[in-house]
Amino acid sequence: MNQTRPLKSWFAIQANRFAPLIFFVGLVILWELICTLGKVPNYVLPSPSAIITAFFNVEFSRWMGHLWATLRVALMGFILSILIALPLSIGMMRSELMNRILYPALIVIQSTPVVAVAPLIIVLLGTDDPSRVLITCLITFFPLVVSTTTGMLETPPEMIELSQSLRAPRYRETWQIRIPYAIPHIFSGLRVSITLAIIGAVVAEFVAAEEGLGYFIQFSTSFFKIPQAFSGLIFLSIISLLLFKSIQWIQMWLFPWSLPKKK
Amino acid sequence: MSQDSPMAFVSMKGVGHKYDPLPDAPMAVQDIDLDIKKHEFVSVVGPSGCGKSTLLRMVAGLLIPSHGEVSIFNHPVTEPRDDVGIVFQKANLLPWLTVRKNVLFPLKHKYGRYGTADEKRANELLEMAGLTQFADKMPDELSGGMQQRVGIVRALLLNPDILLMDEPFSALDALTREQIGFDLLDIWKKQPKTVLFITHSITEAVLLSDRILVMSKRPGTVLDLIEVDLPRPRSSNTINSSRFAELTDLIRGYIYEPNTPA
Repeated sequence: MNQTRPLKSWFAIQANRFAPLIFFVGLVILWELICTLGKVPNYVLPSPSAIITAFFNVEFSRWMGHLWATLRVALMGFILSILIALPLSIGMMRSELMNRILYPALIVIQSTPVVAVAPLIIVLLGTDDPSRVLITCLITFFPLVVSTTTGMLETPPEMIELSQSLRAPRYRETWQIRIPYAIPHIFSGLRVSITLAIIGAVVAEFVAAEEGLGYFIQFSTSFFKIPQAFSGLIFLSIISLLLFKSIQWIQMWLFPWSLPKKK
Repeated sequence: MSQDSPMAFVSMKGVGHKYDPLPDAPMAVQDIDLDIKKHEFVSVVGPSGCGKSTLLRMVAGLLIPSHGEVSIFNHPVTEPRDDVGIVFQKANLLPWLTVRKNVLFPLKHKYGRYGTADEKRANELLEMAGLTQFADKMPDELSGGMQQRVGIVRALLLNPDILLMDEPFSALDALTREQIGFDLLDIWKKQPKTVLFITHSITEAVLLSDRILVMSKRPGTVLDLIEVDLPRPRSSNTINSSRFAELTDLIRGYIYEPNTPA
């Protein structure tokens, strides 16, 4: 049984471990080479070095101002989304009728392109935060409702029988059994939603804004400052990635039992 | 039935059920008559899908039979009762609670809280089941057999008179299964309960029970009600006795040749 596997060389182990990073760095180097050797003009495809230079040419305080504007809208929309999605999911899980009434409405909202509705919302609510938050909320809440409802409905039936055999009140069945069982599903919904929240905030900034990373990218592009637009885009992606990761960290911190078991 | 006869704790009279209310829909269970006496251990064996679990759910009050009547202490069962505890097929523990909190969960769930006296009782029950050192562990740190012992302890928390067990050991491997059977007998001796035990293991039924109800294929009806006259306490020696082999053969005959007249 105790068969010894051939020992991999240290190099092979490290290469395997850092494979994603090596791939990424390789890609950036390739990009740089194509741009410099191929003499690609900056307004077609700026080289990574040009993008980095553009990034540091913009003052730090300006970056922070744009970042805060985008992050504020994204997080407010995201939190509002959670506050709407959770009670809605509980309602849809508890009542068959409510599910039948609301589900088609949700599908309609989800299949309407938010980008197309955004200008109308701006007209309706003005050019301030409320309309931007609403746009973000519209784009984020569907995955949350679906994942939360699915999670609660997938509670093992025997667990529900245990609750029934105790004649416990229904709200405790929801609160002590169904919602905790839905935690893994809720968190996968949250991970999808947080990246959508950034998209929502950017879409809103494209329509009407005076600051924010989306606005910054649009404004840089319109002045043909393509390397600067790219630096904004990459900054935005990094923020999005960090938010995605922080949802995972929150799950690890608050609900370690809900993570898949490592063998 | 006279007044001074030993009171039947659980009584089923002509119990049957069909899930579909249409008149020509098939019956899941049919014509079950069974009286279970105080502190008696009765097993129900039968092929898969014969309605064993349906029967248990009707006694639990989770399902109201479409035919006949189940009564406990001469009261018809119309909803789940406080004096009935259930052990499920899987241990059914909540993965976010420690073992102790899982044991206390019925109180927390039913009343929203529990006191120090309840915690003391939980600790005593855990000690009886040899689980004291695991009380603060999470369920996934326990083996399958230990998890199911926690499931049994949880069912005992509210001190029920009747314990319903729905194939509780079917998810366990053969060795663990035999051991936990003896553990259950040990617990049952310390805390006598009226037990209805659903299983598809013939040897398990013979090893544990006072009487065995053998059910037919769907629709599940009574093929035989067998008195297990093996002496208690039972041990691994019981399995080697010739009477044990006779009884298992008798039941096996019913299961594999369902048309044998009773």
